[in-house]
Amino acid sequence: MKKTTLFAAAMALAGWGGAASAQEIKLGAVLALSGESATAGEDQRRGIELALKEINDAGGVLGQPLRVVIEDSGARVPSALDAAKKLVTVDKVPVVIGEYSSGITIPIGTYLVQEGLVHLNIGSSSGRVREIGEGSFSMLGLDNVSSAFAAQDMFDQGYRRIAVITPNNAFGQGVATEFKKALTDLGGEVVSEVLYSEGQTSYRRELQQMQRTQPDAYFYSAYGKDAATINREAYELGLNQSPWYAGYLSMCTSDSERTYVEGQIGYDLNFVGENGQAYEQAYQDAYGEPFVTSFSGYAYDATKLAAAAIEKAGSADPAAIRAALTELGTAGYEGATGNITFDADRQRSKQPYLKQKIEGGKTVNR
Amino acid sequence: MLQFLVDALLRAVDLSLIALALSCVYSLIRFPNVALVQYATSGALIAVGLQSAGLPLAIAIVVACALVGLLALAMSVLIFEKLLTISPAIAMIGSLALSMIFTAAFLVTVGPRPQRFDLPIAPPLRWGGVSLTQVQMLSVGLTVLAIAAFALLLFRTGLGRCMRATATNRVLAEATGIPTRRVTNAVIVISGFMAALGGIAIALKGETSSQLGMDMLLPIFAAAILGGLGNALGAVLGAIIIALAETFVTNANFGLLAGQDFYFLPASFASVASFGLLVLILLVRPAGLLVSEVKRV
Repeated sequence: MKKTTLFAAAMALAGWGGAASAQEIKLGAVLALSGESATAGEDQRRGIELALKEINDAGGVLGQPLRVVIEDSGARVPSALDAAKKLVTVDKVPVVIGEYSSGITIPIGTYLVQEGLVHLNIGSSSGRVREIGEGSFSMLGLDNVSSAFAAQDMFDQGYRRIAVITPNNAFGQGVATEFKKALTDLGGEVVSEVLYSEGQTSYRRELQQMQRTQPDAYFYSAYGKDAATINREAYELGLNQSPWYAGYLSMCTSDSERTYVEGQIGYDLNFVGENGQAYEQAYQDAYGEPFVTSFSGYAYDATKLAAAAIEKAGSADPAAIRAALTELGTAGYEGATGNITFDADRQRSKQPYLKQKIEGGKTVNR
Repeated sequence: MLQFLVDALLRAVDLSLIALALSCVYSLIRFPNVALVQYATSGALIAVGLQSAGLPLAIAIVVACALVGLLALAMSVLIFEKLLTISPAIAMIGSLALSMIFTAAFLVTVGPRPQRFDLPIAPPLRWGGVSLTQVQMLSVGLTVLAIAAFALLLFRTGLGRCMRATATNRVLAEATGIPTRRVTNAVIVISGFMAALGGIAIALKGETSSQLGMDMLLPIFAAAILGGLGNALGAVLGAIIIALAETFVTNANFGLLAGQDFYFLPASFASVASFGLLVLILLVRPAGLLVSEVKRV
């Protein structure tokens, strides 16, 4: 008797679940909505929201409305993994978009690929993202491309002895290594290389160590809140009297007081590509402000690309979506951030960067 | 060299008030209250909150310190007095549990983002390679003032005499008519006040977050133990020594040893220095540097 009741309950639950999933197609996303990268995480969420609105206004995917279940990673690996597990086991989504920090993207991507799901990287650029494996696709170019660009740009400005500070995780280690390699090849020298621990309330000691080596310029790449602390203390210690060069300028300066970052130069991901004006306008209309960071467009493109792949595959089965994504990416997909073409490792092969500086409190192209 | 001293001073300021509060409470109630570091965080967060609600900075600081003093008293009456009747070790574990609850409460109420006072941005002042901001000087000034006031209270007032008497021999103090329970409660309020002021001094110079208390826990214990747990002014000396050790390890250039122009140890090695020093000194002087009036449990 008891067994039958349980069985009936299980059937009812399964039936309920089946009925719900028949009404809509669900994707998942793990974003840093709290913690040191919350500003970028919120911007990514906006990108997804805009893409969803556009897709559903046009009739959805395979005739059904599309929904993205968004979970907060809290910018911590354990909570990000919990979020990914919840998306896999409870929501049973075929595709998960996320995260921002490479240190988190790699573990959740690895887990998702193990589970046979499709992972879309929308914000991480560590070279090790390449190693996540089949099923993981990157919407942006990785750090070998970006660091070589930064080294060349700084070298062209006449800086030869450069001090580097990046976070002590997969992203920071990747950037520091690739930057050093590229700069040494050009004939410059990295005089100080500091990997900082994320989430501290002070980086005075790290900054003073760098200051002692008397570099021509500082190269840094740090997450929003950490960068705010670094910029403030660099100002207090007078390090800002030497030039500062930011890897991903909008990430490094989004949370900092304008006074502290005035005069900084750097590179950034392009906000939008050639066909991105419509997206830029939609963002401005929806949120009443220009792009906060450069990362929303990549989340927008990931959502649209996933929808296109499901449409092409004719089903929401992860394996079919993976095949469709590979096909779309090999042919080249025209997204809001420009042409997205995957290389053999499913990573974006071409990535335009912007040369920017902070002038009068505003980010302008140089 | 001058910069080294300034850095060590700033670090000593971070540690000394909270270590003083820890040591001072220990002299009367005979257990190291881990939750004191969370009183410091509470003080900083409340003061930041009050300031953003529109109170002037000075009033926000005083109100926050007073509130935390009362909070410390409430915690003592509601929780620690009962735990202490079992044993000091149980009370210490209880205080560890309480500080975890505090961290969770900060996460729910304030969130994981660091909080800052709203202060005007002023460029740092520089003399001979040393740079110091106005808020850093304010923070140092507040701390020195608080330590001086505490020393005066301890050695020049009736309450201070009662505190020292109760700490040295509670039974005898009671026999001579000192209201030991009231003295103890007064000390608990003072310790909460001092800890909160310590947290505020840290937040003034930089920022505070829900993790601040747990980050500060080990160096503060090291400072208090080094100075002789139970000897409040010894804790200040302990804080200065820990600060010097930490600053030396991260500021010293080991380039000669490594065969490079510059070689610095990673900043996270600072705590290795302070604990190495603590172990060394405890091996030689098990009761800490200064003789304490209190026997250790």
